Amino acid sequence: MTPPLSNPTRRELLRRGAALGLTQPALAGLGSLGLSLAAMGPAAAAGTSGYKALVCLFLVGGNDAYNTLLATDSASWSAYGTARNASMPDSIALASVGTPPSGNLRSPLHARLGGVLPITPQTSQGRTMALHPALAGARELFTGGRLAFISNVGPLVGPTTKAAYLAGTAPKPPKLFSHNDQQSVWQSFTAEGGTRGWGGRMADLVLSANTRSMFTSVALSGNALWPSGLGSRMYQLAPTGAIHIGGPEGTLFGSAVAQQKMLALMRGARNNNVLEREHAATVGRSADAEALLATAMPGAGDGPWGTGGLGLNQPDPLLQYLDPETGLMMANPVAQQMQAVARMVAARGALGMSRQIFFVGVSGFDTHDTQASRHTRLLAQVSHALTYFDSVTTQMAVSDRVTTFTASDFGRSLAGNGDGSDHGWGGHQLVMGGAVRGGDVYGRLPVYGAADGKGGFNSDDQLAGGALLPSIGVESYAATLGKWFGLSDTELMDVLPGLAAWNPSQRNLGFMA
Amino acid sequence: MHQFLAMARGPAKHAGRLSVLAASIWLAACGGAGDPAATETTADSERTSNAQAVKPQGTTRLDAYRLLTQASFGPTEAEISRVTGLGAAAWVDDQLAMPARAVHLARWNADDAAAKARRHNDSAGAPSVISSFYQQALQADDQLRQRMVFALSQIFVVSLADLGNERAQSVAGWNDMLARNAFGNFRTLLQDVAMHPAMGQYLSHLKNRKEDLVIGRVPDQNFAREVMQLFTIGLHQLNTDGTVRVDANGNPLESYGAADIVGMAKVFTGFSWGGPDTSNERFNGVEGWRDPQRMTKAMQGYPQFHATNEKRFLGVTVPVQATADPAASLKVALDTLFAHPNVGPFISRQLIQRLVTSAPSPAYVARVARVFANNGSGVRGDLKAVVRAILLDNEARLPRFSNGPTYGKVREPVLRLTAFLRAFDARSDSGKVLMVSTDDPGLQLAQTPLRSPSVFNFFRPGYVPAGGEAASLGLTLPEMQITDESSVAGYANFMRYVVMNGIGQKGVDGKAARPDLQVDLSGEVALADQPEVLVDLVNSKLLGGFVNPEMRAEQLAAVTSVVIPPLKKNGGGQALIDKAKINRALTAVTVTLVTPEFIVQK
Repeated sequence: MTPPLSNPTRRELLRRGAALGLTQPALAGLGSLGLSLAAMGPAAAAGTSGYKALVCLFLVGGNDAYNTLLATDSASWSAYGTARNASMPDSIALASVGTPPSGNLRSPLHARLGGVLPITPQTSQGRTMALHPALAGARELFTGGRLAFISNVGPLVGPTTKAAYLAGTAPKPPKLFSHNDQQSVWQSFTAEGGTRGWGGRMADLVLSANTRSMFTSVALSGNALWPSGLGSRMYQLAPTGAIHIGGPEGTLFGSAVAQQKMLALMRGARNNNVLEREHAATVGRSADAEALLATAMPGAGDGPWGTGGLGLNQPDPLLQYLDPETGLMMANPVAQQMQAVARMVAARGALGMSRQIFFVGVSGFDTHDTQASRHTRLLAQVSHALTYFDSVTTQMAVSDRVTTFTASDFGRSLAGNGDGSDHGWGGHQLVMGGAVRGGDVYGRLPVYGAADGKGGFNSDDQLAGGALLPSIGVESYAATLGKWFGLSDTELMDVLPGLAAWNPSQRNLGFMA
Repeated sequence: MHQFLAMARGPAKHAGRLSVLAASIWLAACGGAGDPAATETTADSERTSNAQAVKPQGTTRLDAYRLLTQASFGPTEAEISRVTGLGAAAWVDDQLAMPARAVHLARWNADDAAAKARRHNDSAGAPSVISSFYQQALQADDQLRQRMVFALSQIFVVSLADLGNERAQSVAGWNDMLARNAFGNFRTLLQDVAMHPAMGQYLSHLKNRKEDLVIGRVPDQNFAREVMQLFTIGLHQLNTDGTVRVDANGNPLESYGAADIVGMAKVFTGFSWGGPDTSNERFNGVEGWRDPQRMTKAMQGYPQFHATNEKRFLGVTVPVQATADPAASLKVALDTLFAHPNVGPFISRQLIQRLVTSAPSPAYVARVARVFANNGSGVRGDLKAVVRAILLDNEARLPRFSNGPTYGKVREPVLRLTAFLRAFDARSDSGKVLMVSTDDPGLQLAQTPLRSPSVFNFFRPGYVPAGGEAASLGLTLPEMQITDESSVAGYANFMRYVVMNGIGQKGVDGKAARPDLQVDLSGEVALADQPEVLVDLVNSKLLGGFVNPEMRAEQLAAVTSVVIPPLKKNGGGQALIDKAKINRALTAVTVTLVTPEFIVQK
């Protein structure tokens, strides 16, 4: 079950190692030698002037795309209502455009929210469309041209038709419909066990353009694959800022020496054991990064990203969202992470950064049951966090240099299972920023078919349960973002080898200016 | 060497000899050649019988320490003596023979009654479940069973993070269920897992209904998918040694497809709350039809909601049922899963990862998987035999394996905490072990028992940390998934606080003067003016005494940097002296708890 190191990775490591005259055993002990692969990185990619950052907002668990961006033309709406059992009280179907919110607190949540919010994309595709009622903020961004939707994206091994898929003649991405693997495939094109994401691969190419290259890839929600590269090792930053090891007074039980020795013991690896070295190396990165950020990173209240003068443990109103179910203002964990991103972007000058990638995660999208309540709350958090971040980056005058995009394990089934939905494949994504050609839906909105009575749906876009067969591969989505980030076509091919399966006109989706 | 070891059991009495002793043991352990166990068995072929793998007598202190790190919530001097006296195999058998005790639900119910007596409508909630877990982990004699419960709770995951206070009672019952089955048969465990209302609520097959062709509703696939992917067979066809089977082109062979999930999902329809009838109201949990024990009573079949059409999965077919028969469908499904050749290697490898080492050799997995397939008496799925095979295998026991550069596992943060608390004889002020959640990676442990963030556990068995040495070796290190730049700092700061202040709730009412669990550092404080002896005592408790000399020198430098002021001529200043002595003891313990030597179990 130990996944073998993929050949390109091993080859690259060996090639780079050989260039330094390292032998294979030495390479195995790279960490212990304290060598940084960053030092061996290739020359900076063509376009690393100025500053640019990509922010991946990962919706963990599989976001229900069908209840995020909706087709509302009558045929689609009818198929949607039927598949989602709209007549049942615990249905996951949303109310139609124009339905006034029910003031009765005993009504199902979807009735209390009122109808889906219509949008008018620049290209209508002959359809009418709307957003989940909890996405009011995102809708404003869309209308203001700062946010775009990309329809029906998912992992694909080249263009795939339903007929070929059902006949088994089309190559398939590995482990479809499985959470952990599809998270991994979305982030790295490999199933669980992968160690290098496409964000990290892009970061590897821009590493040498950054003075403090250890901050090239930053994650805000724990270890993640997308920002992990070969030279650009992901740095995990707590949403409240880097954490200092030891007390603020610099002593351990009254002794400054003891404090220093504790850190030395933690970050030293004295035995021939890879696990001990891995752990010690993590401590080393933690301490080194914190030492730099302690001065370089502005405080939570020291800029447009926060409210100044707050007391300890006093929640920042900027980081609170209105919970649609309870009507209460609640702490928004997504906005909290976005705040840390903003503070890091603000530190770009002090750290000498010209290209950065950030990974923000929000869990809970696996809505097999009680979907109405859970999905509504999560979309409200996402919508508020996007609005917050757009406002902050605009005030920082960097909104055209920071692009935020969503990704998720997969979309979900169209068919309801009572009060939830099941695992799917393709899904709709949101892209936000000043450099985004917003106000439009890119990619063809899928056709909603009717259930065929055998578990399938009679649309070429839908598989069993109404799961979407993607029409756009993750590679094209990534390439469009990567091109803006500054990668050349050759570099994009290197980072995203699967692009080769798509013809050149499909490799840039056109949503970035 | 054995002479020394006998003395080492009483570290306080013979403390003067310990510094020399520790260094010599460390050298022997690293060299391997001097270890008597290493010469006992040289054949480590897959078929080496476990009965011969480890000699019944002559277990060293090192092996006792290692075994107790693998098979308990942390070594204590008393338990180390027991293992060295009995030998590893007899100790394991002794543990396996201890009967299961149902304690968690009883405690939860008592806590809940007490909470309601204090305040109407209050509930014992999730804290009682977490406290009960720690009470057993820290104090129970049947350590191996408790450790197995923790391991199983990370394979068959339900989580208080989702089930919350209101359904915590269900999780208390769940823990008793895991304890009951920990050394039982896997088939019974699987049945109880599938029918437990904690799982039914967590993976939403409780109240799952058959398809409705009129409105187009299909059965919820959640449990059907995860019972295959996570609880029994996994995504790939496996060889007995846990390696993935591949086709002619080298591509992994999948163990099931989308159609199997659709078929399996039909099986898990029509199950809901247990109770005396199978009315629609009881199925839906309508008020007035709620059994008082429903949160822990096995779910039951409700034929009117069970799919009657043909169910095909994994090469078997449950034919159309003229009369819906949920129990019959369930039996076919679970029998089929249990008989699947993947189960042995799939479960064995994960249990090895939870107890012994993160990247076991395929040969080790195969030896255990064979015991899963047949316990020697023709019984499949005997977990008692499986646990025995895991712990007494050469790869678990012999230093020539454990000294290897890729051996061991990063101790889970919860296990680091329990090892510390047990080593220093932690006592509960209330007697109830009042523990709290420790989820926050930046401030706490990034892990709380029974509060996994998802059904995929705190970390995945196939996780390979990116960017470093492990990645270049393709080494699976699950616990590294919750180890990052924030969590390592959070852990160090949290443990510093715990060493100084204890841990837990401040009394049942939150009004006690200090956290409920307090360790005993009096022996360490008494040795504060003998730094070498102090450090060796701490290393003996936390590391079994086996310490790299370089590490010991750093520990000593830390401890001696805390200056003990002289007594004033007028006899004053004793308070400062006492304070400094306490600080030396706190320093010695804290700097040891953060070392890679302690954090990585070998």
